[in-house]
Amino acid sequence: MEISDSLSFFLTLPLFGMVLSLLIPRGVQRIYAIFASLLFLALTVYEASGILFAGSSELAARLSVEHQLLWLPQLGSRLSLKLDSVSAWFVVLNALTAVIAFSTKGAWYRKNPKLFTSLGFFLLFGLNAAFLSLDLVVFYLAYESVFIPMIFMVGVWGERQKATAVFRFFLMSFLGSILMLVSLFFLLSKQVKSGAGVSSHLSDLVALSSGLEGAEAKLVFLGFFLAFAIKVPLVPFHSWLKDVYNLAPFPATIWMSAILSKLGVYGVIRFVEPLFPQVLGFFQGGLLFLAAVSVIYAALLAYRANHPKELLAYSSISHLGFVMLGVFTLKAQGISSAILLSVGHTLVSALLFFLLSKVEEKKEGLDLLSVHGLSRRYPVLFVALFVAVLASVSLPGTLNFAGEFLVLLNAYPVSAFCTILAGFGAVLGAAYMLKFYQQMGFGTPSSGTSEQVTRGDDLGGFELVLVFVLILFVFYFGFQTSVFLKGN
Amino acid sequence: MSLLEPWMMLVVSMVIFGIGLLGLLIRKNLLVMLMCVELMLNGVNLSFVAFSKIHHSLDGHLAVLFVMTVAAAESAVGLGLVIALFRTLRTVDSDQIQILRD
Amino acid sequence: MMITLLVLLPLLGFFLNGFYHFSAQARKTEPSVVVAGVIGTIALFAAFALAVVAWLSLGKSGAWDVGIEERLFSWMKLGTLHVEFGYRLDRLSGIFTLVITGVGSLIHLYSIGYMENKGSARYFAYLNLFCFMMLNLVLGSSLPLVFLGWEGVGLASYLLIGFWSGEMANIMAAQKAFLMNRVGDLGLLFAMFIAFKFAGTLDLADLSSYSFKPEVATAFGLLIFLACTGKSAQIPLFTWLPDAMAGPTPVSALIHAATMVTSGIYLLARLNPVMGQSPTVLFVIAAVGAGTALMSAITACFQSDIKKVLAYSTISQLGFMFVACGVGSPETGVFHVMTHAFFKALLFLGAGSVIHALSGTQDIFKMGGLRSSLPLTFWTFTAGWAAILGLPPFSGFFSKDGILHESLVAAHGSRVIFAVLAFTAFLTAFYMTRLYILVFFGQSRLSEGVRKHVHESPIVMTLPLLFLGLAALAGGWFGAPVRFESGHHGGVGEVSPYLIMVISVFIAAAGAFLGYRKYFRSNHSEKTRDPFRVDEIYTVVFGRGTEMVASFCSRFIEEGVFQRILQFSGAAVDLGGNLFKTVQTGSAQGYLLMMVLAVVALVCGLIFGVHGYGN
Repeated sequence: MEISDSLSFFLTLPLFGMVLSLLIPRGVQRIYAIFASLLFLALTVYEASGILFAGSSELAARLSVEHQLLWLPQLGSRLSLKLDSVSAWFVVLNALTAVIAFSTKGAWYRKNPKLFTSLGFFLLFGLNAAFLSLDLVVFYLAYESVFIPMIFMVGVWGERQKATAVFRFFLMSFLGSILMLVSLFFLLSKQVKSGAGVSSHLSDLVALSSGLEGAEAKLVFLGFFLAFAIKVPLVPFHSWLKDVYNLAPFPATIWMSAILSKLGVYGVIRFVEPLFPQVLGFFQGGLLFLAAVSVIYAALLAYRANHPKELLAYSSISHLGFVMLGVFTLKAQGISSAILLSVGHTLVSALLFFLLSKVEEKKEGLDLLSVHGLSRRYPVLFVALFVAVLASVSLPGTLNFAGEFLVLLNAYPVSAFCTILAGFGAVLGAAYMLKFYQQMGFGTPSSGTSEQVTRGDDLGGFELVLVFVLILFVFYFGFQTSVFLKGN
Repeated sequence: MSLLEPWMMLVVSMVIFGIGLLGLLIRKNLLVMLMCVELMLNGVNLSFVAFSKIHHSLDGHLAVLFVMTVAAAESAVGLGLVIALFRTLRTVDSDQIQILRD
Repeated sequence: MMITLLVLLPLLGFFLNGFYHFSAQARKTEPSVVVAGVIGTIALFAAFALAVVAWLSLGKSGAWDVGIEERLFSWMKLGTLHVEFGYRLDRLSGIFTLVITGVGSLIHLYSIGYMENKGSARYFAYLNLFCFMMLNLVLGSSLPLVFLGWEGVGLASYLLIGFWSGEMANIMAAQKAFLMNRVGDLGLLFAMFIAFKFAGTLDLADLSSYSFKPEVATAFGLLIFLACTGKSAQIPLFTWLPDAMAGPTPVSALIHAATMVTSGIYLLARLNPVMGQSPTVLFVIAAVGAGTALMSAITACFQSDIKKVLAYSTISQLGFMFVACGVGSPETGVFHVMTHAFFKALLFLGAGSVIHALSGTQDIFKMGGLRSSLPLTFWTFTAGWAAILGLPPFSGFFSKDGILHESLVAAHGSRVIFAVLAFTAFLTAFYMTRLYILVFFGQSRLSEGVRKHVHESPIVMTLPLLFLGLAALAGGWFGAPVRFESGHHGGVGEVSPYLIMVISVFIAAAGAFLGYRKYFRSNHSEKTRDPFRVDEIYTVVFGRGTEMVASFCSRFIEEGVFQRILQFSGAAVDLGGNLFKTVQTGSAQGYLLMMVLAVVALVCGLIFGVHGYGN
C-alpha cells in the first residue's frame, strides 16, 4: 500500500474504533479502549517515525506525504491530507493523549462507558483530521467536530454547575470559530470575484492572501487569530478555561490541556503564519507581549488558586504562553523550539492530570483540597508526582527545559523585554508548583480528613509502566534534544 | 362545454382545504384536528385532479395516489399518537398538551 | 572516558540507593544505614580516586588552560546554536572536583554514623544526586551544562533541607532555598541569552576568550553575578542559607558550607576574563562581597543556635571569596574555597558530633564544658577554630591572609575594602571564640536528661573529623594551586605581605581575646537576634508582595473583569433567549396560525410585487 493511500485509511481508523466500541460489552470497555488506542499509537508512530527521526530537514521534507481527494467541489474543497514535520508530532501526541485519557479510572467507566469510549475515538478522529488537513474548509469542519465530544464529556460526566461551564466554553469557542469561518468565506469570495477557480487549499489561499492589503488583511487575520488565541488560550481570551477544566471529568481535562490547546498552536503555525506573514510581522511586538503577559498573569493566578485542578489549569496557560512566545518569534528556530515545548507540555500536563486523577481515585468523595500526606501513604505515586512537577518547572535535563530554554534563547534577540518578563514566569512557576506538591505530599490536615485517603493501592501495573515510560520520554528527549530537532 | 368545468373543481377544493385549515386552527380536540388534516389533504387531492384535467396529463392522478397512500399511513400513525397521548395525559384537548414548552 | 566515569559514579550510587529504598519499602522494612551508606561512600570515594588520577595526569606545568576534554553527545542543536554535552577538567575544575569528591566521601562516611536507619537509603540517594549535579556544574564544558548542575544542586539541596518532612518548617525552609536560588538562576539564564546573542556561543572556553562590547560585558557580568549571589548566599539573596540549616548536619557541612555555596566563586573564576572586561562589575562584586562579609559577621555575633552561627560565618567567608574575585584575584578566592571547605566542613561535622552527643540540642547556651567528655571532637574542632581565625600555621591563615593582602594590592583593590575585611576578620575571631568557649569550656549547662547520654561519637564519625582536622591544619601549606594570568598589580601599590600577616594575626588574637573575656565566665544566655531584619523585610516585601499582586490579579482583574465579561455575554445571550421565548407559547394551534399567516404573507408578497430580488 502506498503511504499516501494509507493516510486516508489511517485517518478513518478511529471511526472503526468508535463503531467497534459500541459492540464491545460494558465491562471490558476500559481494556478495549486502552488496547485499541495503544494499537493506534503504535501505528501512528510507525507512520510518522520516518519524518520524526529523519535526521535532516531535507529528508523529512522528502518523506512527508500529501494525499488529495476531491470532496466538496462547490466550495473547491479537497480532502488533502499532509503528514510532514509540522503535523507529525501533533498526530503522535494525539494518539498518546488518547492512551493516557483512556487509562484514567472513574465515573465514566461506570456510567455509560460505551458513550465515553466512542466519544473518545471520535475526538481522536476529529483531531487527526484537523492536524492532517491542508484544506481550510475541511480543517474548519474537523476543528468544530472536536467540540461535540468535548461538550458531551463535560455535560455527561462533569461535576456540579457543569451547564454553566459548558455554556461558557461553547460561547467562547463558538465566537472564535464563527470569526474564523467569516474570514474563510471572505477569502473564498475574493477568489470567486477574481475569476479563478474556487479552492480552499492552503497553498491557493496563500497566493490569494498575499494580495490583501491594509485593513482588509488585518481583519481577516484577526478572524483566524482570535479563533486560535481562544483555543490556546492566550491571556485576554482565557476566561472560559477555569470552569471547564475544573468541572470536566479527568479524561476531558487531559484531552483539553494536552492536545486541544495544541490545536490552537498548530493552527497558528500551520495556517496563520503562511497566510499572513506581513500582518503577523506588523503585530509581532504586541503578540510577543501578549504571550509574555500570559506567562506571568496565569502564573500569578495559579499561585492564588486553591484547587489543584484549577492550579494546573492556570499553569497550563502559563506554559502555553512560552510556546506562543516561540511561535511569535516568526523564525524557523523559534517555531521548532515551540513545537519542542509543545511536546513537553503535552506529556507533562497529561501526566500531571493523570496522577491527579489517581489521587482523586483514592480520596473518593473528598475534595482534592483536603488531600495531605501523600508521601507516606502512596510513595510511588508521590515520587511520580514529584518528577512530573520537576519537569513542569522545567528543570534542566527535561524536555520542558530544552523547549523553554530554546524558546527564550530565540525570543531574546527579537524582544529582550518580553523574554525577561516571561523569564520571571519560571520563578513563579516553581513557587506555585512547589506549593501544589507540598500541600499534597506533606503536612497533616486540621481535622482527621486525610485518614480516608487510604483507598486502593499505590501506583502499579499498567499505570506504573505508563507513567514510567512518559517520564523516560521526557528525560530522553531532554538530553537528546538534537535527535528531536533534526527533522525540523 | 361540459357541466363540470375545472375551475369549479378548483373552487370546491379550495373550500374543502379552507374548511380543513379553519378546523385545524379552531377545534381543540385532537381527533377532530386529525380529521381536519385529512380534509385538507383531500382538498389538495381534488385540486390535483382538476389540474390534471386542465393539462391533459395523468401526472396529477399519480400524485393523488401517492397522497392517499401517505394519508392512510399518516392517519394510522396520528391516531396511534393520539391514543398514546390520551393514555398518558387523560385528555385530547390540544390546549392542555404543552409538555414540550419548557 | 575517565572524567565521564567520575561524574557518573555518584549517579550510579543515586540509582542504586533509590532502588534499595523502594525495594525495602516494598518489603515493608527499613533500609539499613550501613548498606546504603557504604554504597554512597564507595561511589564517591571511587570518584575521588579517579579525580586524583585525572589531576595528576594534568602534569606539573601549572598552566591553567591545560585540560582533559571529553565530548559525549550533541545535546541541543538548532540553527547556529550547538551545545555539546561534554566535560572538561582543568586546574580550576580539578580543585573543585577534588574538594567535592574528597570532602564529599568523608561526609558520606560520617553520615553512616549520624543518620538512623529510617529513610537512610533515600538520604544517601539524595546526597549522591547532589554530588553528581555538583560535578556537572564544575566539569561541564558549556554554560547550559553548568546550568544543569546549577539547578540540579538546587534541587538536591531542596530535597535534603526538607529531608525531615515531618515538620512543615523544614519544608518551608527548603522551598525558600529553592525559590531564592531560582531567582538567581534567572541571572544565569539571561546571561546565556546575552552570550548567545552577542558571542554566538555558549561554550565556556570560547566564551572566556571572547571580548564583549563594554556595556554588554557589564550586563553579562552583572547577570552572572546575580546568579552567584543566589547560589553563594550573598546580598541580596542570602537569607535562605540560615534557614537551610533545617537539614541534617552533614548536609549543611557538604552542601551549605563546603561545595554548593562555593559554586558562585567557581563561575566567577571561570568567567574571570569576561568579568575583568568591565570594572563596574568587578566593583559591584567586591563591594557586595565586603558588605555581605561584614553584615553576616555582625549577625553571627547575635546567634545562639550553633548551626546558625556557622551558617552566618559561611556567608561571611563567602563574602571574602567574592572580594577576592572582585579585586581581580580569583586564584586567592579559589584557594580560600579549598581551605574553607576543609575547616568549615570540619566545624559543621564537629557541631554535628556535638548535637549528636547531646541528643539534638543546638542552643550553645545550653552546652558548656564538653571538652572532657568529647575529647576527639574538641581537638578537631580546635583545629577548625584556629583555621577560621587565621592563626598560623593553620590553612585559613594562608588563604585569608592572601585575600586581605590582595584586597589592598590587587588591580582593583582599595583601602576601604581592606578595612572592612580586617574588621570582619576581627568579628570572625570574636564570634568563633564565643561559640568555641560556650560549647567546650566553662561549666556544663546541660539539662539532667541530656547529661546522662553524653557520649563521644562512633569511629565512622570521628575518622572524617580527624582527616578534615589534618586538612584544616596542613591544607594551606602548598599555596594557591591555581595561577591565573592576572593583570599587573594596581591598587594602592606594593605592600609587604609580611606586614599584612602581622596585622591579620594581631586582629585575630584581639577578637579571640575579647570573646574569651566576655564569655569565659559568663553563663547568662542571650537571645537570638537578627540586627538587620532582612529576612522579615523580604517576607513582607516579596512574600506578601507576590501574594498581594496575585490576589489583585485573581480578585480584581480575573473575577472583576474577565469573568464578568464572560458572565455578561452569557447574560446577554440569556436575555435574547428569554425575549424570543415569549413567542413559544406551547400551543400547537398558535404555531399553526403563525405558519399560516407567514405563508399568506409570503404568497401576497410574491403576487403583489416584491420583485426587487434578483433583478
